[in-house]
Amino acid sequence: MAEPRRIVDMTGAQIADAIARKELSAREAAEAALAEIEALEPRVHAFNQVTPELALQAAERIDAMVASGESLPPLAGVPVAIKDNMNLIGTRTTCSSRILENYESVYTCTAVERLLAAGAVPVGKCNMDEFAFGSSTENSAFGPTRNPWDLERVPGGSSGGSAAAVAARMAAVSLGSDTGGSIRQPGALTGTVAVKPTYGRVSRYGLVAFASSLDQIGPFARTVEDAAAVLQAIAGKDPMDATSVDEPVPDYRAGLEAGVEGLRVGLVTDMLEMEGCAGEVRAAVENAARVLADLGAEVGEVELPMSRHGLSAYYVIGPAEASSNLARFDGIRYGHRVKDAEDVLDLYMRSRAEGFGPETIRRVMLGTYALSAGYYEAYYGQAQKTRTLIIREFADAFERFDVLLTPTSPTVAFGIGEKASDPLAMYLSDVYTIPLNLAGLPGISVPVALCSESGLPIGAQIAARHFDEATMFRAAAALERALGLDMTPPLVAERQR
Amino acid sequence: MAKDRLNEVLERYEAVIGLEIHTELTSLNSKMFCGCPVEFGGEPNTRVCPVCLGMPGALPVPNQAAVEATVLAGLALECEIARFSQFHRKNYFYPDMPKNYQISQYDLPFCAHGHLDVEVGEGDAAYVTRIGITRIHLEEDTGKMIHVGGSEGRIAGADHSLVDFNRAGTPLIELVTEPDIRTPEEARRFAQTLRTIFLALGISDCSMEEGSMRVDANVSIRPRGAVELGTKAEVKNMNSFKALHDALAYEIVRQADLVDAGGRVVQETRHWDAAAKRTSALRSKEEAHDYRYFPEPDMVPFEFTEEWIAAIRERLPELPAARRDRYVQTFGLPKHDARLIAEDVPLAQFFEQAVDAAGAKLAKPVANWVLGELSAHLNATGAAVGSCGITPEMLAELVVLVDEGTISGKQAKEVFAEMAESGDMPAAIVERRGMRQVSDTGAIEAVVVKVLAEHPAEVESYRSGKSGLIGWFVGQVMREMRGQANPAVVNEVLKQHLDQ
Ligand SMILES: [Zn+2]
Repeated sequence: MAEPRRIVDMTGAQIADAIARKELSAREAAEAALAEIEALEPRVHAFNQVTPELALQAAERIDAMVASGESLPPLAGVPVAIKDNMNLIGTRTTCSSRILENYESVYTCTAVERLLAAGAVPVGKCNMDEFAFGSSTENSAFGPTRNPWDLERVPGGSSGGSAAAVAARMAAVSLGSDTGGSIRQPGALTGTVAVKPTYGRVSRYGLVAFASSLDQIGPFARTVEDAAAVLQAIAGKDPMDATSVDEPVPDYRAGLEAGVEGLRVGLVTDMLEMEGCAGEVRAAVENAARVLADLGAEVGEVELPMSRHGLSAYYVIGPAEASSNLARFDGIRYGHRVKDAEDVLDLYMRSRAEGFGPETIRRVMLGTYALSAGYYEAYYGQAQKTRTLIIREFADAFERFDVLLTPTSPTVAFGIGEKASDPLAMYLSDVYTIPLNLAGLPGISVPVALCSESGLPIGAQIAARHFDEATMFRAAAALERALGLDMTPPLVAERQR
Repeated sequence: MAKDRLNEVLERYEAVIGLEIHTELTSLNSKMFCGCPVEFGGEPNTRVCPVCLGMPGALPVPNQAAVEATVLAGLALECEIARFSQFHRKNYFYPDMPKNYQISQYDLPFCAHGHLDVEVGEGDAAYVTRIGITRIHLEEDTGKMIHVGGSEGRIAGADHSLVDFNRAGTPLIELVTEPDIRTPEEARRFAQTLRTIFLALGISDCSMEEGSMRVDANVSIRPRGAVELGTKAEVKNMNSFKALHDALAYEIVRQADLVDAGGRVVQETRHWDAAAKRTSALRSKEEAHDYRYFPEPDMVPFEFTEEWIAAIRERLPELPAARRDRYVQTFGLPKHDARLIAEDVPLAQFFEQAVDAAGAKLAKPVANWVLGELSAHLNATGAAVGSCGITPEMLAELVVLVDEGTISGKQAKEVFAEMAESGDMPAAIVERRGMRQVSDTGAIEAVVVKVLAEHPAEVESYRSGKSGLIGWFVGQVMREMRGQANPAVVNEVLKQHLDQ
């Protein structure tokens, strides 16, 4: 990696290092990030709220620790951006929805709390598709986020703000949430490293739920090392989340240099051959497989035919759970409420109709329908069976392979408005990522190429066994080192000049 | 309503009644899915947190003690305990429900297929009926709506409504019976018996007045001998056992009158008005509810092992029916007395401690004191048995003093009153007040000799056949001894002297 030109070009690890060596203060790092946000935010719109006070307070605490010679936490002084569906006291948590436009967090999300306890400095809350429904961040009540690689294109979604903030170097790392690909797909489209951990690896407490059985919080970073460090900080059992799992969290960074000698890598061929997979995407993933083989991995081919049904199952289970999870936004206790309601039913109906955007209404209706008497078995029941078959298919594949390699997204970043009127085309963006959510498996998206035509980043997805993020990180780190790609978007290059 | 009228109707029609009983697990320290305390009343919205308020992002974590309490209840009622069970979401919008879904159970309840044997009636008319228990499941309670500006706090005519979420998330077990109940009295006895069991298990205070035990009933009638079930009505708002009985009696007669007049029973929910003594249909917006149940994804399913269930079974206390039988067999108490004590956990504990102290052979007089003076004292003072100032040791000592002849039964009642007042031990009171009954034959004999010497004419009459005069002599001796002589000894000594 080239020597960083500016503070904001430093990785999280470099910042924490420099602060520990007193070459940089946490305040300088925070101010640099805040200045970068001020400069770029009007063009990128990655944030719903910037939090300079919280950032400077946190930075001052770190600097005080440095001054008193205390041992520093692992992410000391690292600027972090947080998706706006995670609660943080002192911020609004809007989920990019009108219905929560003025909602002030009353407690802090466990993952955020752990990240801040690890020394990270919160610079703001990131834009997203409303309630995480979308793959482009266009479904935000507060306007779309733009891709730092091409401001006329989407950054992916739903965690598009978190992805763009890291790609544009407004934060060193960020947190997103991934229900069907909402971390990995924007990671691929913005050339960042993006991780969806194993279901149960990270507490969901304080993450506004989309689909409870699929949601996971995970990091965006510009290096595999930073992504591993953030997951290290946020992973582990939380008594406030009954679905978080009490599995030991290994030292992810310790194995990053170990290489892939003997690692069994399964290239998922039927996914590459799927209609709609761009030629350059396929070529880039096949190249990544060759690179891994050159490094000593045993690369084989595998097919996952059940996984293509994942999309249909996902669009039943996701909306079904969402329709119930979003029922609490009713205008009674908090959030948008119509002023002149005639009775409680009128209050519910109009508050929700005014508060929710069109994609949210579509998903709530879809899910309500799927759970209705007479349809439950045909939709929800069938989707759960499909889910079980997908879980089995992956289990079989992981008998033969340690990791599986697929594209992250079938295409590079598409234009703003290009798919906005065609929900089905939009839903296809997540065809490679959704199966992992259904199976609860961990996956990482790493940049593997820049498109020769558009210059836009292409990502590959590496999936691993449940709770085996360490192996996933190890393979991703090997690929990152071997490819040595320069992932500097034109917007950032312009700022560096 | 005349009881005769109900009996007349029940001669022609058979009532088919099933109960749905919600009981709050009030003895637990915390709510069903969060750490907020479980208490009745209090300033509105003071026992709440992000979880029980349904704030965005908050998650439920099941209260293990509530799960155990439900399984304990299931075991006490002979239920099968599920090996695999889970919570479901019941989706519907209502302002007292913070999440607009209730976490409840659907097709996989913790307990199913149980039964309870209920004793109905007294004396010769007494019989036992077995009521099947369909299921017992665990769920969370809702908050409470307060309607302002209408009449009697009802929603009709109200100007606005307030919500108190203190109760929201309180662990609630729902028990559903089979439609095995045939009379209002059976329904009342079922509910009463169930209450004594839940009290014995220590899982709830089961207060119908405060709403920690809520009974709803499904009632239908069919002509005697018919197999097909009639259309049922659901009756709600019965806030006491008497209300349960009276509402069902009213409803059965109402349905019979309707059918007799050629009408038809409508499936509806009816509200019991205890003051007007009638049920009335709730303003019916009876859409068929589709609750869109689906498995609660915020929790993992429960898998109960045999060992775990066995460990819960170990915790089953002696239940009221078994305790009553033991009192009859071991202590020889009359069945009725045994039941009265056995069904009241604190009273039974008091009784057993007193028997321990007094000795098992005195169990009967101890029971008499417990059901007599002690219960009267509790009623009069409103005190609980544990805090009424009278300990089992005090009562035991009092019973022993009577048994040993140290004081008479009449004196014992005075001592009881004084010990209730002062908290002193009975022996000390007897000592202080010089009540010690004289049983010393020598002392009594001296007085007897004196009395006989003073009344030669009466002695003559007695000896010539007026044996009834013995009572008069006893009275004279007792008066001389200021009532402190043991009457049995006085009687015996008098006879020795008069009959010689
Ligand atoms: Zn609470």
